[in-house]
Amino acid sequence: MKDLDKPTKSLAATFDNKVFSVIAIKKAAYKYVRVFSADITMQGEQINCQLTFSSPVSEEEGGRLVEDFKKEVLDQDLRERLKGETEAVRNVILAHAFSKTGLITDGSLSRD
Amino acid sequence: MGLFQGIEQYQAPTAAYQLLPFRFTSLDQDQYVLTNLAGEYLIVDRRTLVELLHHRLSSTDPAYCDLRARHFLMDASSSIGPALLSLKLRTRYHRLAEFTGLHLFVVTLRCEHACPYCQVSRQSEDTLRYDMSPETASVALDLALRSPSQYIKIEFQGGEPLLNFGLIQFLVQEAEARNQRLGKNLAFVIATNLALINDDILRFCRDHSILISTSLDGPRDLHNANRPRPGGDSYERTIAGIARARQVLGSDRVSALMTTTEASLPRVRAIIDEYVTQGFTGIFLRPLSPYGFAIKTRSYRAYNAERWLDFYKQGVDYVIELNRRGMDFAEYYASTILKKMLTSEDPGYVDLMSPAGIGIGALVYNYDGSVYASDESRMLAEMGQEQFKLGHVLTHRYEEIISSPNLLDPLEESFAYSAPMCHDCAFEPYCGADPVLHYSLYGDYLGRKPESEFCHRNMETFRYLIRKMESDPFVKQLFMKWANR
Repeated sequence: MKDLDKPTKSLAATFDNKVFSVIAIKKAAYKYVRVFSADITMQGEQINCQLTFSSPVSEEEGGRLVEDFKKEVLDQDLRERLKGETEAVRNVILAHAFSKTGLITDGSLSRD
Repeated sequence: MGLFQGIEQYQAPTAAYQLLPFRFTSLDQDQYVLTNLAGEYLIVDRRTLVELLHHRLSSTDPAYCDLRARHFLMDASSSIGPALLSLKLRTRYHRLAEFTGLHLFVVTLRCEHACPYCQVSRQSEDTLRYDMSPETASVALDLALRSPSQYIKIEFQGGEPLLNFGLIQFLVQEAEARNQRLGKNLAFVIATNLALINDDILRFCRDHSILISTSLDGPRDLHNANRPRPGGDSYERTIAGIARARQVLGSDRVSALMTTTEASLPRVRAIIDEYVTQGFTGIFLRPLSPYGFAIKTRSYRAYNAERWLDFYKQGVDYVIELNRRGMDFAEYYASTILKKMLTSEDPGYVDLMSPAGIGIGALVYNYDGSVYASDESRMLAEMGQEQFKLGHVLTHRYEEIISSPNLLDPLEESFAYSAPMCHDCAFEPYCGADPVLHYSLYGDYLGRKPESEFCHRNMETFRYLIRKMESDPFVKQLFMKWANR
């Protein structure tokens, strides 16, 4: 049986680079900058994250934080997908919204 | 088996739809807040979000119609979505083109109070060298009236501005005279503790439609402990001043602000009761700012964001309770945020603007002629940090002041739309950049958001307000009313 109270300073999380981008992982790591720092390295098709906690946490708490981190990576991946898919329409909306402000030139509008 | 088949039998298993730009952030373990480009929000569970993003959401799904109505997706029957979003977005940002509407004149740094948390580094009452001169005031007024905004609000601040009331009279009369040819919509406010108010001053205020904004921290003991002055009678003078000002100017011309000190934290109900007793129709529960004497006397560090949030939530819960009992009473910080959440209007609250409200939302003309990007900027300058000083009224032209690197750099660097974490945050349309606060606490305009108290406090406030109205139809109706005040 594991000792759940044993303090942990560092844990690892691994991602498949065919599924997740390094950008998504960096963004997720940034959100947790208060809790842990992340060393992100590539090894073949794997993205390895070594998470070093700001202060030691119990093994149980560490496990929960890694799960939260993985969930955040998934959210970031979905955000990337959404951003890519909606980029064109977002530019059209922004250009239209500011078309009468003088902030956008005719040239930049016609490109859209 | 029924006589007729359900509608889903006649529809494609998944709808053909196009996603529109939106952002999402978790509300709790399973619920997500989605916000579109114009700031309209919707709550969905994780399953719905994932199905939506993978184009697997059926048009018979209970969330589908809401997602379409609020422009998170468009299909063959809703191709007008992008045009409507554009219109709402343009409405939301219309203040940007107006530029600076609020102009703060620090007519003196002198004050007869000695509040330990005061955000202005006060000077003693008899030091005339801390008064603004008529020459400086006259040039500053020209600059204020140069703003392209059709609505110019001039607010007199201090110290205690009534200690230099002669200059206020001069500025009001000059502004009115110069505005004869400009035709702008002028408004005046005096931010005063009311200790020195008298009938002559009030008559002038009445004749020139000047609003009074005063400070009321709560019941007598709390207010007087927060705001020491010779005689220990700040509360008595404030209450008497409010009553007299209302008599002369009218009730709607007198408002009050409170400051939350550590002593306030366990007493939010008593503070709200005091506002109710004094006949106010709302209260602005606001935290202490990290400037001036608040830092010097360690008042600011006396409580953290968590303690303030407890105080704030208890306060809003109590205000809701009062409304359930039939009282019409609002909490103004919530009202400001709710206007952003529930309407296409932006209330123009400097702390919750992105691009930041500095310079764009307000300019400050200090007693010595220095121009600052916001009230907080000049408080920071009083602490020796002149990062947000834009120039001097006697040596810099309007164009030089508003294009100062001390304004443009923080505006650009703090813009939340392109800031790490803010860029993806569903609450970005409700939040602000506040480079002055981040600079004072973290030494740069942006700060690291995961470590930012500003971010934590606001995110939690947004989540709290959304949870309240999503779980209680009465609160939803009440919040709609506050948003549309």
